[in-house]
Amino acid sequence: MSRFFKSLGDSDSDTEDSEEELLTSGDDEPTVPAQKAPVRGMARFLKSKPGESASSDSSDESDEDSDDEVPKPTRKLPPWKGGQEEDSDEDERGPVVIVSAKDKRLREMEATAKTIENAQKISDWVVASTEFDKFVRLVQRQVNLTERAPSFFIRTLVGLEETVANAIAKEKDTKKKLNAIHARALNGMRQKIKKLMKENENDVKNFQEDPEGFEREYAATTAALEPAPIQKAPKATAEEGEEEEAGGFISVGKGGKALGITPDTVFKNLQTVHESRGKKNTDRAIQIQILERLLQVAATTYQRIRILLALISSRFDYNSSVSTHMPIGLWLSCQSEVDQLINIVTDDSAYSVQEVTEDYDEWAERSPSQEKDGVVRIRGSIISFIDRLDDEFTKSLQNIDPHGTEYVDRLKDEKGLYATICRAQAFYEKSKQSDPLARVVMRRLEHIYSKPDAVIQALEQSAVQSQVLPSMTLSIQRTSSALIHSLCVSLYKSDNSFLRTRAMLCHIYHYALANEFYTARDMMLMSHLQESVHAADVATQILYNRTVVQLGLCAFRKGLIREAQATLQDIFATQRVKELLAQGVHQQRYQTINPEQEKADRQRQLPFHMHINTELLEAAFLVSSMLVEIPLLASIDNEELKRKAISKPFRRLLDFADRQVFTGPPETTRDHIMQASKALQEGDWEKCRDLIQSIKIWSLMPEAQSVKEMLAKRIQEEGLRTYLFTYAPHYSTLSLSLLSSTFSLTIRSVTSIISKMIWNEELSASLDQSSGVVVFHRIEATKTQQLAQSLADKLGALIEQNEKALDAKLGANIAWNERTDGTKQEKRTGDQTAERRRNGERKGGTAARSTRGRGARFAQGLGQAAPRTRLAA
Amino acid sequence: MAEYDLTQTIIPYLDRHLAFPLLTHLTETMLFPVEQIIKAQYELTKGTNMVDYSLSLFEQLYPDAEIPPQFAAKRDSVVSTNDRLAQEAQSVLEIIEKPEVAQALRQDKRQNLQYLKDHYGLTLEQITVLYKFGQFQYACGNYSGTADYLYHFRVLSTDSDLNLSAHWGKLASDILTGKWSVALEELGSLRDLIDSRSSSSSSSTANLTGAPGSEVASALTQLQARTWLLHWSLFVYFNHPEGRTLMLETFLSPSYLNTIQTSCPWILRYLAVAAIVSRKASTSGRLRHAIREVVKVIQMEEYQYTDPITNFLKELYLDFDFEGAQRELSKAEKIVGDDFFLGSFADEFLDNARYLISEAYCRIHQRIDIARANGRYSDLSERLNLSREEGEKWIVNLIRDTRMGADARIDLEKNVIEINRPALPVYQSVIEKTRGLAFRTQALGAAMGKAGQIDIVENGTTVGDGDAR
Repeated sequence: MSRFFKSLGDSDSDTEDSEEELLTSGDDEPTVPAQKAPVRGMARFLKSKPGESASSDSSDESDEDSDDEVPKPTRKLPPWKGGQEEDSDEDERGPVVIVSAKDKRLREMEATAKTIENAQKISDWVVASTEFDKFVRLVQRQVNLTERAPSFFIRTLVGLEETVANAIAKEKDTKKKLNAIHARALNGMRQKIKKLMKENENDVKNFQEDPEGFEREYAATTAALEPAPIQKAPKATAEEGEEEEAGGFISVGKGGKALGITPDTVFKNLQTVHESRGKKNTDRAIQIQILERLLQVAATTYQRIRILLALISSRFDYNSSVSTHMPIGLWLSCQSEVDQLINIVTDDSAYSVQEVTEDYDEWAERSPSQEKDGVVRIRGSIISFIDRLDDEFTKSLQNIDPHGTEYVDRLKDEKGLYATICRAQAFYEKSKQSDPLARVVMRRLEHIYSKPDAVIQALEQSAVQSQVLPSMTLSIQRTSSALIHSLCVSLYKSDNSFLRTRAMLCHIYHYALANEFYTARDMMLMSHLQESVHAADVATQILYNRTVVQLGLCAFRKGLIREAQATLQDIFATQRVKELLAQGVHQQRYQTINPEQEKADRQRQLPFHMHINTELLEAAFLVSSMLVEIPLLASIDNEELKRKAISKPFRRLLDFADRQVFTGPPETTRDHIMQASKALQEGDWEKCRDLIQSIKIWSLMPEAQSVKEMLAKRIQEEGLRTYLFTYAPHYSTLSLSLLSSTFSLTIRSVTSIISKMIWNEELSASLDQSSGVVVFHRIEATKTQQLAQSLADKLGALIEQNEKALDAKLGANIAWNERTDGTKQEKRTGDQTAERRRNGERKGGTAARSTRGRGARFAQGLGQAAPRTRLAA
Repeated sequence: MAEYDLTQTIIPYLDRHLAFPLLTHLTETMLFPVEQIIKAQYELTKGTNMVDYSLSLFEQLYPDAEIPPQFAAKRDSVVSTNDRLAQEAQSVLEIIEKPEVAQALRQDKRQNLQYLKDHYGLTLEQITVLYKFGQFQYACGNYSGTADYLYHFRVLSTDSDLNLSAHWGKLASDILTGKWSVALEELGSLRDLIDSRSSSSSSSTANLTGAPGSEVASALTQLQARTWLLHWSLFVYFNHPEGRTLMLETFLSPSYLNTIQTSCPWILRYLAVAAIVSRKASTSGRLRHAIREVVKVIQMEEYQYTDPITNFLKELYLDFDFEGAQRELSKAEKIVGDDFFLGSFADEFLDNARYLISEAYCRIHQRIDIARANGRYSDLSERLNLSREEGEKWIVNLIRDTRMGADARIDLEKNVIEINRPALPVYQSVIEKTRGLAFRTQALGAAMGKAGQIDIVENGTTVGDGDAR
């Protein structure tokens, strides 16, 4: 795209931005961040070729680059022909003519000025207005690059003002000379000119007083600076080192203009940087570079703080796009600067950085002695830097391939980040700012809550190395769980309910990780989070899901199969485990996802090292489902009841496996579990055990061996139960010793299991003590009897439904059912709901189960202590 | 057995004065050195006005030491305060006890206050003197006097905080004077007070995501109040003749069960004993299933609290390990005997526990050998810790008493008991299942009608329980 088109076209387009970068890339050279140098160099090398030979396709970019590559001390300016023709013009002139960026800009500006003049003459205000806009933009760019506005700009400006004023005056007289479009353009222009006149007040005044003198003065300043680029090019590569030697006080800025970087001009330079911040055409790399130099020369603490604040912000600004992450080198220097900043404010309590301060003069030096209470308050927010730094870290992890070494390298930076966070915590503790303190503690907690002890120790070690220590460290708290506990407790006291919720979840997660199932479960239930989590933000919901899943795994490790099954049930029932845990994006089969949503999804993903292994999760869930479901399945002889599964995902897989005609040796985890389930159904517990134990994924579980042993024991017991259920109809007696040898359980535990089944009326049998056998009593009900029974069951269910509906309608505050407690009805809804939530006995359970919704089941599963959710009532 | 002693756990939840009986009991059981207990008692009395008692304890503790002068000083100050308060209180009491005043007093406290002020110049401050004097008397150990004063104060005062405090004080005095039926009433009203206080705040269940502050605080206060009530009520429930049944009703209600689970799982011991002891008494309603419920809770709280008594129930009903149950029972027997509250129920507990074992045993077994002593399955009498003859007698009684009744026979020739339990006929189970349906539907209808009414009346104050029955 030629410059002409662009300048006329939409200036908001991104291409211009990128081009801007390229345009100036040659000038950046001396201080381009280190890791970028080779890339740039390469590009330039490739590009410089056409520039040197200046082949016919003299695009803008190559033009600009060539400018610095091939310095032209004595530059012959080609006769000016007009901006529009510039490109073709150059083509005609062939390869000889190379124009410097600056000259080119000047020429362009002059051309525009001319066009404006022409348009004025013929009163074409529309053209004049557009051209004027372009002109102003060009000049602005010039000014941005710390050059002075050309003299003819002022001249044109003054001239324009007159003509426009005249034109308006004329228009007023004649009433209707211009059409609407022209009138609007004219008015717009007048406004702009007024503004510009104000901005350049001094120059305008000078010009009006002595136009020629002004011109001369301008020529002198530019001429004085003219040799600068000549000097600059040869030492481009060596400049960095040279500057350090020279103390860096005189350096050469863009376009050959000297940047007076001395302690005295710090504020002036800072102001320049500040003003250009966020503007379209600002080169962010240069800004950073200027600030870095400023930092080197900064003399006072106040200056350093101010520069650091600006520098960190501009580093964060460097990357404008949301989707990509900050370059790692940039991040690292940014991190060290945040460290510096924190150190300064921690060491010197006479300075304080606050989000809200009284107004002060931004561009003047301040010192503690001048302030009223001896403390210099500076506007800025360290906590937002920390937040941003942490977010950028996560973002970079999201974008790096987790299987490469780069990821691991990047992960090593977490130590530094963690130390920074700790330092910030120490600072906020010292300065007693409770709100940012809570936020920074939360950040710290989020770095350690899901990590094993060894990692926490490593992180803590790095944090301890700094001079300033937060009040809570591993060395003080001894154990990592004590550390997390103290962090969480400090967060519980904060006013921010969002932080409290998250702290609670992190705390529970950590307990679950540490195998403290009961503590974790009780906290979960008492937090009442399951009632309100639906209204929470997505990140918290993800954390909640993670916590629930971890709780389930914890129950599984502890051998609490029922609890594990019920806890994991809810997550698995959705079949979107990965999505719910933010460990992958769900493929939507039936609906297309819109790009924004997908983008948001991707941003939410957890970095790989935080993932909970979903395969392990699934194995735990399916195995616990197997242990719960298979005996149940065996105990039901009624087809209709069989359809009601506890664990639908498991039942689905089992049905699928049943339909398979040929089954090969198991390959996947699922295969293993399905074949094990079948073996368990057939009473072949040894095969079942072997299959389950040969699942490879267990190795990822801590204490894998004890988990396997626990599973083997469970399989024996459930195998016995299944066996009894399945084969009871075919026996009238069974010897206890036979059962005990078949299932290699002690006679005592066999008796215990059978007794329990008899007592709970799962098995209609009794023990014959003298002969050591189980005697089965089986009554075959006739069809009518069966029907009558199921009818009665259904009636019961119906009433229960009605009661529940009424409960829901009336709400909890009207306890209509409490009254009936004292009557002979033994089971009233009041405690029925409570009872239902507990792991009820199977007998009552089957009836209740049918009416239970999915949500209730979760509560039931989370433990038998679910009624405790009423605690606060 | 000292490790199972709960005195130390319970005392923090009791009033200073309520702890005395417990400590005195400890001196009898000899679980701990007497020295220590007397010392503890002495420490306790230091905070009270019972100077003489404190002095005697001091003498016991340090027989050779000289009596410190502060005793005398304290006694003087106590006596003088007593005189002053007594005078003030007396003047108030005189007015209140006038027959015409008693007649003039109505339900409305505000009106009463106005009346007293108008006619006798009695102000609120003067009435508060009653409270103070009551408190003072309590500290001195004059419990019956305290009860009187606090009663009068409560009738007149409008200050709800002080009223609540007066309630507690009255309950403590009633307990300490041993007026169990009065204490029971007091307990009931206090319970209502605690529950009603909270229900206003509990509607907006204090969840952590919402605003904390007052809601959490009130929920906490309530939890604390309930915990105290649970502990204090042990005195009443284990001394009042009807106590155990009432205790089960209270403790098994959801809110109190939650309190037990959350803050004081050791109460489960008392709950378990109450459930076992009142096995026969509980013929109706949910109490019949009290044991089952208690077992559930015990299972849930196993990770927090166990003792031989809870273990006994667990072995019996969860593991069906009769030997284990037997083992735990013998331990539990001792503990129950030593416990301050349970001491008098030791025999009853043992009887009922034995019954439970044999009931469970008989329900599971078809044929039980009475005589086989050396087999793998030791016989029933051994399980029950009885000699053979006793065992036989026991079994006969058991068969006679229990529901299995006609289905069990002792065959002395073979030395076995045959138990025949024909399965429940199908029609009976259908009847069982459908029995409550009509009633429940009726209750539903009534509730719906009432809901409609409330909607109309809107202020919801008409929730009586008349029309539902």
